Amino acid sequence: MKKLIQAVILILVFYLILKVGIPALGSFLHHGTWPVVPTALMRIYMFFVVAGVLLYLTFNEESAKELGKPIKEIYGSPEKGGLRMIVIAIIALFGGYVTYQNVKPSFEAPIELRSIHPAPPSSVEMWGKTYNLMTLTNPFRADKANYEKNAKEGGIVFFKNCFYCHGDKLDGKGHYYSGVSPLPANFVDVGTIAQLQESFLFWRIGTGGPGLPKEGAPWRSAMPIWQHFLSEEEIWKVILFLYDYTGHSPRTF
Amino acid sequence: MGKKGFKLILGVLFTVIFIYSSVVFAEQGDKDNGKKIYEKKCWWCHGEKGEGNGPAAEFLNPPPRDFTLGVYKYKSSPPGQVARDEDIFRIISDGMPGTMLGTAMPAWKDVLSEKDRWDLVAYVKSMTDLFQTEKASGEISLGSAVSSSEESINKGKEAFKKAKCFECHGENGKGDAIKKLKDDWGFRVWPRNLTKPWTFRAGSEPKDIFTRVSVGIPGTPMPAFADPKSETKLTDEERWHVVNYVKSIADDTKKLKEGEIVVKAKYVEGNLSEDVHAPEWNNAPPTAYQLVPQIIAKERFFKPTIDGVTVRALFNDKEIAFLLEWDDRTKSVPGDADAEKLSEGEVFEDAIAIQLPTSIPEAMQKPYFGHGDKEMGVNQWYWSSGSTSGAQTVKVIDSTGLGSGKARDTAKTDVKGKGEYKAGVWRVILKRSLTTANAKDELQFEAGKFIPIGVASWDGSNGEKGSKHTMTTWYWVLLEPKAGSKVYTYPAAAIIVLVVGQLWFARGMRKEYEK
Repeated sequence: MKKLIQAVILILVFYLILKVGIPALGSFLHHGTWPVVPTALMRIYMFFVVAGVLLYLTFNEESAKELGKPIKEIYGSPEKGGLRMIVIAIIALFGGYVTYQNVKPSFEAPIELRSIHPAPPSSVEMWGKTYNLMTLTNPFRADKANYEKNAKEGGIVFFKNCFYCHGDKLDGKGHYYSGVSPLPANFVDVGTIAQLQESFLFWRIGTGGPGLPKEGAPWRSAMPIWQHFLSEEEIWKVILFLYDYTGHSPRTF
Repeated sequence: MGKKGFKLILGVLFTVIFIYSSVVFAEQGDKDNGKKIYEKKCWWCHGEKGEGNGPAAEFLNPPPRDFTLGVYKYKSSPPGQVARDEDIFRIISDGMPGTMLGTAMPAWKDVLSEKDRWDLVAYVKSMTDLFQTEKASGEISLGSAVSSSEESINKGKEAFKKAKCFECHGENGKGDAIKKLKDDWGFRVWPRNLTKPWTFRAGSEPKDIFTRVSVGIPGTPMPAFADPKSETKLTDEERWHVVNYVKSIADDTKKLKEGEIVVKAKYVEGNLSEDVHAPEWNNAPPTAYQLVPQIIAKERFFKPTIDGVTVRALFNDKEIAFLLEWDDRTKSVPGDADAEKLSEGEVFEDAIAIQLPTSIPEAMQKPYFGHGDKEMGVNQWYWSSGSTSGAQTVKVIDSTGLGSGKARDTAKTDVKGKGEYKAGVWRVILKRSLTTANAKDELQFEAGKFIPIGVASWDGSNGEKGSKHTMTTWYWVLLEPKAGSKVYTYPAAAIIVLVVGQLWFARGMRKEYEK
């Protein structure tokens, strides 16, 4: 009996980690969110969990026997006829319930996975010029003497063009943020510009949503094609500002 | 001394320190530190000298506060007095709720310490001489709050009439003004739509509403109804009734519900009515979408008046009908004198459109949400409100990318539309047959499949025409799949299989057990 209870508890613990633990961790990292594991992924995880637990508990014959003993007793023992009927009924009804859940009409929106930071191309064409993204650097970063001035000018570009979505606090929560999907990037977060090279930002800003490769779902992103509105210089300055304001450093390798 | 006593003293000590520190921060806010923070975080909107003219100001409606006059719209001091420090502190800390309609003021309490926020209060107060000579006596008296009841709501409704609130806020509180209002800075202001409490700038708790009704909104036409000098003064009790009335008219079907992005089209037997008030619509669940201005392609647009649309859908064996409902303070009829009086510039038609892909996407890929792309096109059903010289019209536009849209020959579409404007609300029905002969270029509806949908809206009295409009990105519409018999047969089959299987297993076990 002990082994069977152990198996049930183990599976339950893993289930709770996936169901509650992961969203809680997400909520801790990104305040105000509750990122649940998608159902499809949950099924795959649970398959491995159940398989893993069974493997672990049946790794030798003895423990496999112990695990199977209560099952054998319930189904086989002549004294346990009543319990047997109850167990058979519960399992059958549970199976019926799961089937019903799967065939009943569902209104849950499909989950659309997209790559948030897809691999950049090696070069990109903007304003009729070709830029090699492998070697491209921010010309204003080297200009130490005018750094403050350039960053401030970048800030003005930001507050004339970007802040309605990316927010006054650069946290991705501008006053229109909730009306677009995917949500605007949060630059304060360690998972965005802190992980990226400046040339990557230059490409993302310059070509906008439609410049994304297919894995980035270009048909959904509301990011405008900024080369239509801004000059090369303005884009580099706004990039300088994003790092200056948030205190992050661009990745250089 | 016991452990309990020690804890008590510690608690009291902390409370005293906490209160004392707030008082100290409030009274001795460090202006110079405030200035430093201001120059890093605030000037972008409020301007270098606090004149409300930072680089972002021209893109904001309402505009950022001008601190040089010392007039604060959201305050809790008695009428005629300057704002309390706590009022300024509150807005800095909590921002302005209802940021959807262009109020960009965020809550700063998660990035600035309490001391920093008090220092900012000291700094912005120093931008005018007003606070050197004047000081608020305290918070306005709240009287004794009246809890909500049918009786109180009715009394509130009467007070709403008596105090002429409807002259600006409209008969039904939709803010459908019959006046063109301006604030003291010369900016156009719109009376609040009272049925959307989540857009109230300084909170929608009963106390917040009571305070606003009592002291008004300085600098705007909203008067102080607690002002003894006012002709339309309301007593404390009457103002609490107004609070309960305002609370009672909230329209939750217009409120965004997180994660609810699917329009659930319900199946109905028989004909689909073209009447926007047909009782069938009560069975169609409402889905509210936020509308944001078109800020993606030229020519961009930043000052919308409409912030959302609620979509419902019904279908029968032949047709599908969408009901689009949105609050619009103005019925925009080109050529109409009343409409012209209220309009910002030339009056254009009000309009709404839904966008659908030309076919149900098989995989994740959809057409670009802005008018489609070369790989996948879109159909747009566009309804406009008509003018004094022309009736309402419906067009179908086929598009494969921005600027490529072509209105289809009216003979080649059976999309029908009909709209009604009533007391600050547009309700428009757009209807089409589920399938058409033109399957190549036109979406064929199918129950049980998620179909991308987008919405765009134009307020013709707000200069909205062409690319100047509000919009959504892609959401979904799902025609409720007919439940069919499998909902019952599959679970039943599962139960039978499991019972038989287990009995068979038990027989095997019994044999083994007996051994």
